[in-house]
Amino acid sequence: MVPEEIVSKMKPYFTTIYGNPSSLHQPGQEAKRAMGEARSVLAKKINASSQEIVFVGSGSESDNLAIKGAAYYLRETEGKNHIITTKIEHHAVENSCKALEKDGFTVTWLNVDKDGLVSPSDLKKAITSKTALVSIIYANNEIGTVQDIPALAKICKEKNVLFHSDAVQAFCKVPMDVKKQNIDLLSFSAHKIHGPKGIGALYVRDGIQLRKQIDGGSHERNRRAGTENVPYIIGFAAAATMFKESDCKKMEKLRDKLIDGVLDSIPNSHLNGSRTERLSNNANFRFDGIEGESLGMLLDADGISTSTGSACSSKSLEPSHVLLAIGLSKEQANGSIRLTLSRYTTEEEINYTIERIKKHVEKLRKISPIWNKIGKKL
Amino acid sequence: MYNKKVMCVFKNPKHMGVIKNADGVGQVGNPMCLTPETIVHINDDSVKISDIDASKKVLSHDGRFNQVKRKMSRKYSGDIVIIKNKLGTTDLTPEHMIFAIRKPERWIYSYTKYKKLLAPAWYHAGDLRKGDLALYPILKEINDKKFIEMSQEKKKWDYRSIKIPNKIKVDADFLRLCGYYISEGHLRDKVTKTYLSFAFHIRENDLADDVERISNKIFGIKVKKRIIPERKTRVVEINNVFVARLIKSLFGKGAENKKIPKWMMLLPPEKQKHLLYGLWKGDGYFNAERPRAEYVTISYQLAQQIKILLLRQKIAPSIYTEKEKMDKKGVIHKKAYRLHIGERDFLERLAKILKINFVPKRAESIKSWFDKNYFYTPVTKIGKIRYSGDVHNLEIENSKSYITESLAVHNCGDVMKVYIKVEKKAGKEILKDVKVETFGCVAAITTSSVLADMAIGKTIDDALKISKKDVTEALGGLPLEKWHCSVLAVDALRSAVNDYRKK
Repeated sequence: MVPEEIVSKMKPYFTTIYGNPSSLHQPGQEAKRAMGEARSVLAKKINASSQEIVFVGSGSESDNLAIKGAAYYLRETEGKNHIITTKIEHHAVENSCKALEKDGFTVTWLNVDKDGLVSPSDLKKAITSKTALVSIIYANNEIGTVQDIPALAKICKEKNVLFHSDAVQAFCKVPMDVKKQNIDLLSFSAHKIHGPKGIGALYVRDGIQLRKQIDGGSHERNRRAGTENVPYIIGFAAAATMFKESDCKKMEKLRDKLIDGVLDSIPNSHLNGSRTERLSNNANFRFDGIEGESLGMLLDADGISTSTGSACSSKSLEPSHVLLAIGLSKEQANGSIRLTLSRYTTEEEINYTIERIKKHVEKLRKISPIWNKIGKKL
Repeated sequence: MYNKKVMCVFKNPKHMGVIKNADGVGQVGNPMCLTPETIVHINDDSVKISDIDASKKVLSHDGRFNQVKRKMSRKYSGDIVIIKNKLGTTDLTPEHMIFAIRKPERWIYSYTKYKKLLAPAWYHAGDLRKGDLALYPILKEINDKKFIEMSQEKKKWDYRSIKIPNKIKVDADFLRLCGYYISEGHLRDKVTKTYLSFAFHIRENDLADDVERISNKIFGIKVKKRIIPERKTRVVEINNVFVARLIKSLFGKGAENKKIPKWMMLLPPEKQKHLLYGLWKGDGYFNAERPRAEYVTISYQLAQQIKILLLRQKIAPSIYTEKEKMDKKGVIHKKAYRLHIGERDFLERLAKILKINFVPKRAESIKSWFDKNYFYTPVTKIGKIRYSGDVHNLEIENSKSYITESLAVHNCGDVMKVYIKVEKKAGKEILKDVKVETFGCVAAITTSSVLADMAIGKTIDDALKISKKDVTEALGGLPLEKWHCSVLAVDALRSAVNDYRKK
């Protein structure tokens, strides 16, 4: 949720300081100043300079601008038409790359190991002289795996290839430094750090040119047209300021309690994704013999909101591509469920969740033909 | 997503569990759905699904060959849906899912620009209507083999055979020769009389000359040419045992058995154009005046392979089966398969490949079309028949679907097991108890529970009359994408009854 503290910081920009930052008059300039401050707050968070931050409408738009913007520009100027990405990207990255594929680019989809990690040597092998851009998600939204970004970005720097990372989930939860880590483009947004939904940003290293995706006025240093969403930008910066490292430590402790609690008390339960290289607030379990959507619905009735990668719950009847990419079979992917914590989660809630999951998994296993088969094997 | 009633049933589903010593047990899920005769594309063959086992690789809806993990079979008694389109016919159980586009009720889409508005999804075979579009994937796998090698062992007494190069380049010339062989070639395979010959029409000097040129260039072997005026035939012979053996190892011999090796099916489409050129120039027909093109063969395999080759060129043939018949001269013609191309776009593409000057005269409405991955074609006929016997399904590695002669079909993930206890009362068979085990989503669990509830106490015949509509209505409705769960439930009960009847 967006806490009252942040909402109250945003309010004046609706009601009193409502000028358009592109205007020359005082109200406009006031808004512009506030926006500039917000911009530099966000830039500092990742050790970038103010002018390297472009505000956009969402994390997805940020991914689109980075990938398509860089790819088209490089193809036009340097004839590079090869993109490298992974099989566990968010749909925004995946489908941007697919769109480029349709338009004549070649795309290499790197495999991941059973924990969801990309191997730097795989990346090295895949880079060619025609590679324009590499895009690797910082921390995966489903299984929480955090990649070794510094190692991967270093390879790209050595080979003179642009490196982009979708850091929507990782922003503020993992220490980031675009200069030290050699990152050229970074996408992040507000709604995963208790900011409002509907505002995102793209870090573009000085000197990198992108083909504009949204044409119009010359806002954002002519990189993205559209009247700036001042109140949300203020909210974005406020959320980033509020997010402390101590929050992450707290979430990590509770997350570990949840993971240990579930794995210890429920037989034939497994964790999807890496145990150690993991986002501080992500837990993704699979339970043999039951299906994810039904477990999710039972927990929902108990006030616990989860999401699942099960095929039954998707329109295409295909299970989550991320779960399949880490080597799970169809049945295993169908029996998976994801829980995420926030800085407002309490220990009590964790205990309640563990107990409820245990109860529902037992209930579903009693009526499952597959569990009874496995049970007989045991 | 779900209404209150569904959620209520879901929280406390009734009749879940097992019946020990049940009178009948049925299981569905990973639905088993194709009749044994259904042909599935495998490696370089088209094979009956009943003959497939786990060692084979099957063409999937992503256009690649994937390993068969398991084949599952069960007894089925009920409706079979027969779906016919340009490419052929497929028979399947109504709940099996097809990748298709449902045409909206009032819609005329003869103009290309509207076609992109329709999005494909998985539908039940039983829900498709004539005019809906089925998607057929184009084989996308490419493996460019640049050379083939052969060992040339001379038999002990062979003093005269000239050796040909060990490594033959798979280029345009070689592929054209292959095409000519498949269409018009003949192999003689006897000791001291092993050679390859091509029988063209007497007027086809250009093809004969081409074979001569290719033989010289690739093998370094001179050909023998002769004419048989009374049969209007021009024959070209390559009298070399190694050439003959090479061709035999690639294509087999005998018109019924000729087929294209798998690696040739995976060559880049650019190269395959030359193979098509040879095939069509040899035995195909192209009429630019009454625009159409045809290729007839008695080999079912070859017909299916040429179909795939054409699809890779974004040309879609209609495929007709000609029954065995006797012509006016008393000659018996075996059962044959005719590939027919009539649509303007496809003829244009084929003309280009055949280097024929074709100027289309009139505009045609577009009924089928291609995009990068699929061929979209309307369902021309849907029929239903009653069937009782085996049905089969395949579980494929890495892909949830596979293609039959004419459609891409899908595996769904839910599993249901039904147990029944039957009591005989006054000559009638009554379902005393029904219990269900379900692995699946909310819809699956609720539909199985409701079905069990509705079936208990009814006679077997009445219970079998319960339709998926009845089950869905009893729940107050289900979201569209969950309807297949209700079909699974009905089918599971039927399967249990069949089991009971067998005992």
